[in-house]
Amino acid sequence: MFYREAGQFKTSYEADQALFPIRQDRIGLAVILLIAFVGIPLTANDFVLTSIMIPFLVFSLSAIGLNILTGFAGQLSLGTGAFMGVGAYAAYKLTSLFPDVNVIVMVLCSGFFSAAIGAVFGLPSLRIKGLYLAVTTLAAQFFLEWCFIRIPWLYNYNASGAIEIPSRDMFGILVTGPEATPLTRYFIVLAITSVIALLMANVLRGRIGRSWMMIRDMDIAAELMGIRPLQTKLLAFAVSSFICGVAGAMMVFFWLSAAEPSSYSIKLSFQILFMVILGGLGSLSGAFMGAAFIWILPVVLKFVPGMLGFDIEAATVEHLTFMIVGALIIFFLIVEPHGFARLWQIGKQKLRVWPFPY
Amino acid sequence: MNAIVSNLAQPVGQPKTAERDLLLRVDNVSLSFGGVKAITNISFDIQKGEIRAIIGPNGAGKTSMLNVINGFYHPQEGTITWRGEVRRKMKPYEAASQGIARTFQNVALFKGMTTLDNIMSGRSLKMHRNFLWQMAWFGPARQEEIEHRRKVEDIIDFLEIQAIRKTPVGKLPYGLQKRVELGRALAMEPELLLLDEPMAGMNLEEKEDMSRFIVDVNQEFGTTIALIEHDMGVVMDLSDRVVVLDYGKKIADGPPEEVQASQAVIDAYLGVSH
Repeated sequence: MFYREAGQFKTSYEADQALFPIRQDRIGLAVILLIAFVGIPLTANDFVLTSIMIPFLVFSLSAIGLNILTGFAGQLSLGTGAFMGVGAYAAYKLTSLFPDVNVIVMVLCSGFFSAAIGAVFGLPSLRIKGLYLAVTTLAAQFFLEWCFIRIPWLYNYNASGAIEIPSRDMFGILVTGPEATPLTRYFIVLAITSVIALLMANVLRGRIGRSWMMIRDMDIAAELMGIRPLQTKLLAFAVSSFICGVAGAMMVFFWLSAAEPSSYSIKLSFQILFMVILGGLGSLSGAFMGAAFIWILPVVLKFVPGMLGFDIEAATVEHLTFMIVGALIIFFLIVEPHGFARLWQIGKQKLRVWPFPY
Repeated sequence: MNAIVSNLAQPVGQPKTAERDLLLRVDNVSLSFGGVKAITNISFDIQKGEIRAIIGPNGAGKTSMLNVINGFYHPQEGTITWRGEVRRKMKPYEAASQGIARTFQNVALFKGMTTLDNIMSGRSLKMHRNFLWQMAWFGPARQEEIEHRRKVEDIIDFLEIQAIRKTPVGKLPYGLQKRVELGRALAMEPELLLLDEPMAGMNLEEKEDMSRFIVDVNQEFGTTIALIEHDMGVVMDLSDRVVVLDYGKKIADGPPEEVQASQAVIDAYLGVSH
């Protein structure tokens, strides 16, 4: 009744190709952006910003990165964590070598390093597909993690073996390091994430996005339509790693402020992969939904017993959270194997004909 | 539709005088996989503007022949002359950029994409805006997208599939999928269109529709067509010349009536007691 495009005629291809052709969707997006840019900064406290919103956005961005590779180009990867690590270490090295350059420029530049390394580790994809490719990307994960531990130059010979982000300011405002206010960091992360998401939405609806999906759906036919498999796959690896690298750099610069090699372990790779699978392969909004489910839900669940007045030990709550999230993952995968994005789509479809479904 | 016709009407290459109308010639091509000889010493040609049928019993090497023509397989012996030039070993995308398009025996559409995107994908070779323009979207990238969308809409009109424009092709019935696949090949504006069993598994009405599209493509756009088909009625009606393969060897070549009368062809199809 409320979500219906009746009466919204498209009279040009421009209008038909818009990202959100339906007016209700545009209003919805505007509301979400309004909440993100105005509502949350006004109401949220430091805890919500640092423990929920900033990591959620960082993970969303890395889920977008992996989604481009796995969901759109069809190349399974388990090296996400390592590529994020490359971004983090590259940004750290860059900002310690050139302390005067704006730190955001450095964070974005670090993406190029991870893109190059991602493209190198993407080379086997020309010959290997599916799970076997995942195993070769696992090599990237282990090799790069080894580099983070064994090459002391990467962490400036720091005795602890970790990278500690120095304080950097921008226009007189402290933006990185532990002293920077959560609000500043939140705004930077939000801005970078939404701009990259928008740029990727544009790429995905054009020629390049189509060429990735062609490779994913039927590589032989794609080759026959004039797609060069090597270039297309490597571009997907590079773009995906670029985004993951930026996300990794943001993770340490604007959220953790210090990171060890183990922050970028295989565990992180799996976490991002689960976000992508649960959110929906081949969907940008799915990346956000998956990240919200995997990251925000456990944090919120921890506070539910307290709010309801139950007096349960912290450890028990932890266990309960694990069990509930695990059960929910299984439940959602049974209900809709294609993830939240598909559920959302089905919901919208139902809403269009509601209340007269026949 | 005029745009497509005019594009195709442009002269192509500089054919040698002796082969003015030859689009493609296959000379003594042999292809084997290990000990299995798929194609043995086959020669035939395809002339510009004709509908050329390749027929033969199952396993005769018809599809292998198409795969050789568009670069999936590299024959061990023999040469392929394309537009008067002897072709070196080439990759499928090179064949595509030289104007060879193809449909598959078992539909090879991009299942996760809509009909529109599938047909748009046929225009990939003709779109050139790079990554940065694509990221910006507004401006040249969108202009290019819309320009090609117009051509794609022409093809959608031609194939009468307007209603399924935004439907993911995985959800379409088989006959429509075949039609979308033809549309995708047409979007490449090919010079030579290879159709691998375009009518397999269709009912009479769908076959009639598909035949009409094939004839229209040939006559309106001037596209040369090489066609593999098992329905003899269709083959004999549509094609200008027929080449018959059996066990990887050529057993007949000529106009439909001639081929129909050939004893070797009758033997190959009906079997013969030795």
